[in-house]
Amino acid sequence: MAQAALIDPSHPPEQSTAPRPAAVEIAGVTKTFQRRTGGTHLALAPIDLAVADGEFVSILGPSGCGKSTLLYIVGGFVPPSTGAVTVGGRPVTGPGPDRGPVFQEFALFPWKTVLGNVAYGPRQAGASKADAETKARGLLARVGLSAYETFYPKELSGGMKQRVAIARTLAYDPAILLMDEPFGALDAHTRLKLQNDLLALWERDRKTVLFVTHAVDEAVYLSDRIVVMSRQPGRIKEIVPVDLPRPRHRDELLLDARYQRYVIDIERLIEDPPEEAGA
Amino acid sequence: MTAAATRAGAALRPGLPPLLACLGLLACWQALAHLLTTGGMPDAVATFRELPAILGDQEALGDILDSLRRMALGFAIAVALSVPLGLAMGRSRLVASLVNPLLMVSYPVPKAALMPIIMLWLGVGDASKLLVIVLGASLPVIYHAYQGARAVEEKMIWSARAMGMSGASRLLRIVLPAALPEILVGCRTGIVLSLITMVTSEMIARQTGAGNILFNALDMAQYETVYAMILVIGALGIVLDVAFERARAALVGWSDEPDAIGVTAA
Repeated sequence: MAQAALIDPSHPPEQSTAPRPAAVEIAGVTKTFQRRTGGTHLALAPIDLAVADGEFVSILGPSGCGKSTLLYIVGGFVPPSTGAVTVGGRPVTGPGPDRGPVFQEFALFPWKTVLGNVAYGPRQAGASKADAETKARGLLARVGLSAYETFYPKELSGGMKQRVAIARTLAYDPAILLMDEPFGALDAHTRLKLQNDLLALWERDRKTVLFVTHAVDEAVYLSDRIVVMSRQPGRIKEIVPVDLPRPRHRDELLLDARYQRYVIDIERLIEDPPEEAGA
Repeated sequence: MTAAATRAGAALRPGLPPLLACLGLLACWQALAHLLTTGGMPDAVATFRELPAILGDQEALGDILDSLRRMALGFAIAVALSVPLGLAMGRSRLVASLVNPLLMVSYPVPKAALMPIIMLWLGVGDASKLLVIVLGASLPVIYHAYQGARAVEEKMIWSARAMGMSGASRLLRIVLPAALPEILVGCRTGIVLSLITMVTSEMIARQTGAGNILFNALDMAQYETVYAMILVIGALGIVLDVAFERARAALVGWSDEPDAIGVTAA
């Protein structure tokens, strides 16, 4: 295997973030699915991962490596077969407003206007209608959709829908964002624009982010660390700390040899066949 | 629609083709009546002459209103029972596997055929007719509520769960509105079926109602009245359907689902 200059396995990535408290601890998590034809399928081999408070971590891997399943387990939407996840020191037993999901499918409430969607979380948390709408308007301004608050989701483009979905999740102020290939359904241009906007949002709040993607350049551009997964069964192949200065700007990064090196090295990591393939 | 058909259609005013279709039907009716020369088929003109007599008659109007009242009540009860049942089936495999076989067995049974049995239990009054209307209108509403609830995007429900919404309020505040476009497709069929069962129930248990007028006239060979009542009932169906479509558009204008064609074999 081509050893990467910037990926140094002798330095466990935990070291760089050790001083910060762990926001998410994944300990020995596995997931086994019952197959229709009988028998079982091991989707996730034991996974151990600690994510620090305020850290932006991408989970990167080919389709079928269980990266989304891992995110759903952290979200509490899917129970692990074995192992446990703790968030802020408390074990995860189900979904909660401390972990805000953003899905590739947007999953907006189509019967609510843009404003109604974003105000939904604060309303659910007990805020008055006026307070919830004030909060929602503030977030819509931050994602650049103030002019669309009376629109229904079906009237929006994919990029706008995902902005609304991000605003809807930020509106109830989760400590951790769980983003499941959020830009996977968008065209290349919109995708780049939303990556920039997400970085700008994140650099202001510094929320903990778990970001599932299969796009290497996206992961390098956004992340503090990249968890590279391989499949059959899904497991962590390598954890790559991304040592690039912030705030990051795409035009500067594209010229930066270190950025290019990360992209190339990680692409190689993914291309390498899993050591236990066929086992 | 083909491009040629679109061009031909554009040349006509939108209301014109349906009007032409109606006129064509009336012309056929008129021609057939004269060809057959049987008392069983009065001509169209004679039938339309009969309409003011029915609509001006207090007793007949009372009968028709009575029918409409029963139909509205039966339909409302059917919706109130069927929507929660269908949603529960859509969200719980256990409920679905319990109820589905019952639905499959009862689906092909003509509900009005149960009328004689129901009359043995409940008599010939309102209760029997209401029950038949409820039975007649329920199945499509249950079925579409079930399909609608099943099709609700899982991630939408997850998004609500992440906000801390409990199971019961998710059913009411997420699953119900998300399934509403589909539920209303079922309601549209349910309205037509409740009109049909309403008329049939009155054929079997004659006391009052539009069906009562129709079938009494048939017994007495007053064929103009029979045909005029068929026109009245048909017109009621059209008015109800148009009114329902208006209400539906207002309720689920946010939905981008394609409009379903509401005509269903009964």
